[in-house]
Amino acid sequence: MKKDINSNGYIFLYATILIVVVAVLLTAAAIWLKPFQDTNKQNEKRINILRAAGIANVNADNAAELYKLHCTDEFLLDENGRPNNNGTLPLFVIDREISVIPMKGKGLWGPISGFIAIDTKGNIVGANFDHESETPGLGGEITTEKFQSQFKGKQIRKNGQIAPIEFDAITGATKTSNGVKEMIDNTLEKYKPFFEQLQPSDAMK
Amino acid sequence: MSNFKKLVIEPLRKTNPVTVLVLGICSCLAVTAQLKPALVMGASVTVVTALSNFIISLLRKGIPSRIRIIVQLVVVAALVILIDQFLKAFAYDVSKQLSVYVGLIITNCIIMGRLEAFALSHGPWESFLDGLGNGLGYSLILVVVAFFRELLGSGTLLGYQVIPQSFYEAGYMNNGLMILPPMALIIVGVIIWIQRTRHPEMQENQN
Repeated sequence: MKKDINSNGYIFLYATILIVVVAVLLTAAAIWLKPFQDTNKQNEKRINILRAAGIANVNADNAAELYKLHCTDEFLLDENGRPNNNGTLPLFVIDREISVIPMKGKGLWGPISGFIAIDTKGNIVGANFDHESETPGLGGEITTEKFQSQFKGKQIRKNGQIAPIEFDAITGATKTSNGVKEMIDNTLEKYKPFFEQLQPSDAMK
Repeated sequence: MSNFKKLVIEPLRKTNPVTVLVLGICSCLAVTAQLKPALVMGASVTVVTALSNFIISLLRKGIPSRIRIIVQLVVVAALVILIDQFLKAFAYDVSKQLSVYVGLIITNCIIMGRLEAFALSHGPWESFLDGLGNGLGYSLILVVVAFFRELLGSGTLLGYQVIPQSFYEAGYMNNGLMILPPMALIIVGVIIWIQRTRHPEMQENQN
């Protein structure tokens, strides 16, 4: 190589070529892999919905099939709790009876999310949670069966009114636990009209 | 053969990047609460160190020395993003567990350390072997640490229950402390202690 590799011109040229090559490479990979990644994301959502609704043995391979079998309806609700194509609140109906609703909230370090499944009587069939960056072993425990199973069978009404749900928080993960509580309460608040018209009198006791 | 042995086997023991050079500790404590993420992290780092060493070594004569760190960063970052994309496409569960850490591979000191110390002054094949060896040395420590943390912290290995139920009934409890990050450092410390006791020549002169 005759050229001085430390001249300014060479440095500029080198940097430019390197960046263009890398950019093309990464773009190609991103475009090529996008369909696979989208399938994974969709499968994950279906798995979470089905698991919340208490359907056992769901995995990435049979998620699409089981979802087709069990998910009898999916639509959007408006703020009055009625199906409306322009609504903002998604609802998934599993086996005609169970309403699964998505939740989004804030953990300690980042977003947390989840699904909660509720039957027509207002009993929780199941719930699952996911997080992006909670501490493994502390806040990360919200993804464990141990934490999630305690929601089974809880009633979302108290004296006929939709009321906050009580659950055992995780020791050492107060902020994440509070985040979960807030997320559930906020979500149920938004879906209140829907659950009120679903069974207005049955839960009154 | 002796070259191969020197470059690939030595980093597993006497020039181990974690216990001797004390590099890459940050990720060592982050991903070792369970065995599975540790294995994946080890494999990813090994691939990245080997390939980035190889690529930088190929480019070494043309890299302007004034921007060499930037060039190294670009190459490593591109590789890491590629691996991240592949994991998201073909090993989604694993990529979810590693989500934060995969991006952190780029900041792993071992990679930049090997690029600066080895790849810039050696041929592509040797550099590749050196990267491979150092990646494996790192993985080895990660796996040992994760083995103890998962076994003692959760009673499982790779997610399978290892400690029988009868132990729990007899009053045995998982050690919650093992799941917390500081225990990784303590285990690494114990490994260094054992290693230095067995190889006294590694100990620094007391005076």
